[in-house]
Amino acid sequence: MIGLVVVTSMPAIETDGLTKRFGADVLAVDDLDLTVEEGEVFGFLGPNGAGKSTTINVLLDFVRPTAGSARVLGLDAQADAAAIRERIGVLPEGGELYDRLTGREHLEWIARTNDLQESVDYEATLDRVGLTAEEAARPVGGYSKGMAQRLAFGMAILGEPDLLLLDEPSSGLDPTGMQEMRTIIREEADRGATVFFSSHILGEVESVCDRLGIMNEGRLVTTGTIDALRDELDLDASVSIEVDAVPDGLAADIESNEGVHAVETDGTTLTISVANPTRKIDAIRRVDERATVLDVRSTDTSLEQLFNTYTGNGEGEPEPSAAGFAGDETAETAAEVGR
Amino acid sequence: MSVADVVSKDILDVRRAKIIWAVAGLYTLVTAVFVYWGTQARPPEGWSGVYMALWNFVFVGAMFVPAIALVGAYLAIAGERESGSIKYLLSTPIQRRDVVLGKYVSRATVVAASLVVAFVVAAILSLVWFSEFPAGVFVGLALLTIAFALAYVAVAITISAATATRSRAMGGVLGFYFVTNLLILFGQLSILGALEYVLNELLGLGVGDDPIQLVGMLVSPTHTYLNTTLLAFPDGFEEAMLGGQTTATAWYVEPEAALVILLAWTVVPLALGVWRFERADLG
Ligand SMILES: Nc1ncnc2c1ncn2[C@@H]1O[C@H](COP(=O)(O)OP(=O)(O)OP(=O)(O)O)[C@@H](O)[C@H]1O
Ligand SMILES: [Mg+2]
Repeated sequence: MIGLVVVTSMPAIETDGLTKRFGADVLAVDDLDLTVEEGEVFGFLGPNGAGKSTTINVLLDFVRPTAGSARVLGLDAQADAAAIRERIGVLPEGGELYDRLTGREHLEWIARTNDLQESVDYEATLDRVGLTAEEAARPVGGYSKGMAQRLAFGMAILGEPDLLLLDEPSSGLDPTGMQEMRTIIREEADRGATVFFSSHILGEVESVCDRLGIMNEGRLVTTGTIDALRDELDLDASVSIEVDAVPDGLAADIESNEGVHAVETDGTTLTISVANPTRKIDAIRRVDERATVLDVRSTDTSLEQLFNTYTGNGEGEPEPSAAGFAGDETAETAAEVGR
Repeated sequence: MSVADVVSKDILDVRRAKIIWAVAGLYTLVTAVFVYWGTQARPPEGWSGVYMALWNFVFVGAMFVPAIALVGAYLAIAGERESGSIKYLLSTPIQRRDVVLGKYVSRATVVAASLVVAFVVAAILSLVWFSEFPAGVFVGLALLTIAFALAYVAVAITISAATATRSRAMGGVLGFYFVTNLLILFGQLSILGALEYVLNELLGLGVGDDPIQLVGMLVSPTHTYLNTTLLAFPDGFEEAMLGGQTTATAWYVEPEAALVILLAWTVVPLALGVWRFERADLG
């Protein structure tokens, strides 16, 4: 690969006011400013039609921006497209492979176009993505969806690229396949690669990303680490405690404690919302002093809730009580999303 | 070299496609039938039947060769755009220009190879069936026919590069075939007949035959090809076939000029195809 002088602090991906319209009415990406640092695993999250693929397609020079610009590995996405592609591995969205070529021929062809024939180990790559040598010898036309996705993933990671751009890498994979894919993403990050991948599967993002960005209706509504996003939103953590019987005044008593937002009683179950997860154990102790605890269920702000909040999906909207704690910035963001 | 990467992969891919071989096989068969027909036909005074066979062969070629070329190439890029595999192709360091040129080279190779097979079969049959074998005419016609085929491959690649779906590419090449081939080959109904009628009969401009011939070559590779084939036949044969009525023509409709136009029919469409494809959204 090309021996470019790499400035250490250069972002792997940087878009500046990136805007893409299709025709007159579709605004797929709206003034996007996104920075992904080198070595990061960045999850790019958003509901269907948010503009994730369009953004990735601009980075790959498949579509041209209406306004703004994008840089990949310090190079201009349009002017230096070929140079960029020498250094990246790509898993595009919705691309069929070549039915008449075998799996192995696909890998050989990627190696050839990248001048890697000498250095790559096909067997090891096939093994990593979970394809056997026999499967790799068959034409891809006969592959199952997941097998094709595994092969495509293998093509992306072949030759240790500096940056992986993966558009919904988990689509079509079974749970084991998804787990394997996450492991590989982590391994790639550990060897120093930057990984940028899109998804609407939240669990995937949570377990593997250093940072994530949430996109909705063409706009980047937030970026940050999962913990930071959680804090920023100040969503409740809550714990449900089932007791034999709820003594009088317990709910009010608990509610008066510091860090407790609300207590709801439903039959013999108390649901206690706390400001942060460390307060849960306190709440459980206090209940335990006054009643016999039969069962405890704890829920964190699920990523789902986070996601729904940002994408204005209704269900996960923070409780009014929590919204009161939210800073102006968050409130603004939420309002923007709700439009 | 990225063009070579596109070529090698595409040839690996298309040679496993059956449609190409079916069309090429059909062409070989038709060629053989026409060579046989040459043995039965009565050639003009003093000429061997083999020239008749080759003369007819040119007209078969004028109809069939564009069909082979168009079928062999029209999906080259549009098919990949529709299936999305173009995204894999362009995720490598290959540039868009390389895709268009590489696809052209690969499909041109496949089409040319199938024409060579047909010519070899025709040559063998001629050796068997005729007493005479004019190797020079044979080779000349083969080269011109291949150049003709390559022009249509270039057109098909360009249409393929400019369309996003299979059906549009198919519509494009069918339209092109109809206008530049069927409407040119069939005498009074042809575009040129109509043009002459409008210019001379209706408007009374008295435009000569030569400018109309030139227009014909500029709108149709087939017309151009037919003019170039005079280069391959021996002097005097055309007069013998057409009953000695050839007239002096302007330099720009001489067969040599036609050859230049035929080559332009490869270069210009390809340049246009590269230009279009480099600007396309492949989202
Ligand atoms: N080629 C195109 N022509 C017209 N509109 C398009 C085109 N590509 C995308 N769009 C529109 O742009 C918007 C964003 O689409 P995009 O594919 O980027 O979303 P996404 O976030 O990747 O969604 P998904 O999760 O479903 O893959 C959508 O409204 C889509 O309809
Ligand atoms: Mg998408």
